[in-house]
Amino acid sequence: MTRLLDITGLRAGYATVPVLHGIDLHLDAGEAIGLFGPNGHGKTTLLHAVSGLLKPTAGCVRFDGQDITGAKPSAIVAAGLVQAQQGNTLFGDMGVQETLELAAFNTRARSGWQTRLEEVQALFPRLAERKRQRARTLSGGERQMLSIGCALMCNPRLLILDEPTLGLSPRLKGELREAIAEIARKGVPLIVVEQDVEFLLALSSRLYLVEQGEIARMINRADAPDHKEIMEMYFGEQAH
Amino acid sequence: MDGVLIPTLVSGLLLGSLYALMASGLSLIWTTLGVFNFAHGALMTLSAYIAWTVSEQFGLGLVMGFVAGVGAAVIAGVLIELLLVRPFYGNRNMMLITVMTTLAASTILERGISMIWGPRLKQLPRTLDGQVSLLGAPVSAHEALIIVLAPAVLMALWWYTGRTRSGRSLRAVGQNPGSAALIGIDVPRTFSLAFGLSAALAGLTGVLLGSIRFVTPGLGADPLVNAMIVVIFGGLGSLGATAGAAYVIGLLEALLVLWLGLYWTPSVLFVALILVLVFRPNGLFGKAT
Repeated sequence: MTRLLDITGLRAGYATVPVLHGIDLHLDAGEAIGLFGPNGHGKTTLLHAVSGLLKPTAGCVRFDGQDITGAKPSAIVAAGLVQAQQGNTLFGDMGVQETLELAAFNTRARSGWQTRLEEVQALFPRLAERKRQRARTLSGGERQMLSIGCALMCNPRLLILDEPTLGLSPRLKGELREAIAEIARKGVPLIVVEQDVEFLLALSSRLYLVEQGEIARMINRADAPDHKEIMEMYFGEQAH
Repeated sequence: MDGVLIPTLVSGLLLGSLYALMASGLSLIWTTLGVFNFAHGALMTLSAYIAWTVSEQFGLGLVMGFVAGVGAAVIAGVLIELLLVRPFYGNRNMMLITVMTTLAASTILERGISMIWGPRLKQLPRTLDGQVSLLGAPVSAHEALIIVLAPAVLMALWWYTGRTRSGRSLRAVGQNPGSAALIGIDVPRTFSLAFGLSAALAGLTGVLLGSIRFVTPGLGADPLVNAMIVVIFGGLGSLGATAGAAYVIGLLEALLVLWLGLYWTPSVLFVALILVLVFRPNGLFGKAT
């Protein structure tokens, strides 16, 4: 299999506060991987350093053999690495359909955007029902759908989802997870950040535990730990 | 009084049209970058002088003058963004810093213009000769053209920002630059685009104004304050609100000049602005959010 994403020794942070202390992570073509771990330990920072929103201070990010460390976000999206943000409000005063059309912005996404729009609307029928509604008036779940829909409109070769079900009701969580599994079945390589390890195990071949800015543990699906062990990873031995 | 009311309204309409052209340029930059370009007036002036030089001194005609003037304004506008606004992106005080830097650009441009072109008054020829009658009042064809052109330009801008890819990208960047970057929009390039377009509007307004008034180094800076009143009065943001406010201010100014005279008009306009902001903090047409 070809290596699609290869991150080595990645360090990044905000102003004088380092957050990532050397991350190593990889993903092969056709694979889905999961990231989990406590809040505030660098998961989102890692994603921002990969997508270009944050300039890494050291290390290397290679996408499809090409060095994209510190490249412009627009260039990274044009290469096919696309990220849907956490709890995203997108563009408050823009309509749903308008936003999806705009998201097919990079040159690779322009041809065949109508087909992709139909696919997104089939995946999220709620977005088709709310074509003209402004993004700021959408519910949390609908915003999340729009955010993922936008990322799909970019024609991703690798799609990164940052806690796509954060703060949603159990019913909506289920709906979104079903959609994410559907995206994975279509063969789009995925990196999914989630707190629910069981969901990640069902979806992906490998899991990374991100803790204190480092990969604390890598878990293959084949030797997956049971529920109790996962709880220990989160809370430590003394928790039970 | 009857005999002067109609011509006053017509001159108010003309003023409103000019304010609409100016204010839509200011508003374009404000909605995309969240800064005010205080050099907008100086760009108008630059455009008028370049147009005069090309059209009158070089004798290449008004059309070439128009093209050269607008082109010069666009180049200067993009340079202002690149040199005086871009270094301060992401700075917490970006808005205040850019007030200073664009004011500096305005002063430098104006002084440079007086140095190059000297103090003698100049005037651009009119785009159209002759007169037309508007509501029974005689208006020069050139002024009538401005009255027709302003809404046409606004409609074109509205279509551009609402329907085209690059126009929509301007709005997206203004509303959420981080998300815009993540769907592949080159944010710094979009900022340049906003400045370039706004400068083109400034250039167009400058050339049109230069054949109504004498071309002086203060040609654009003088009406700039009122154009800023228009943008704030309308409720910072939407193009429709800015356009509406432009005509309200234009008509109000013309009527105030008639009733009170030139001396007190600017003061009363400011008092009107303050009153509007007291009772409608989001502007006359702004949404309450």
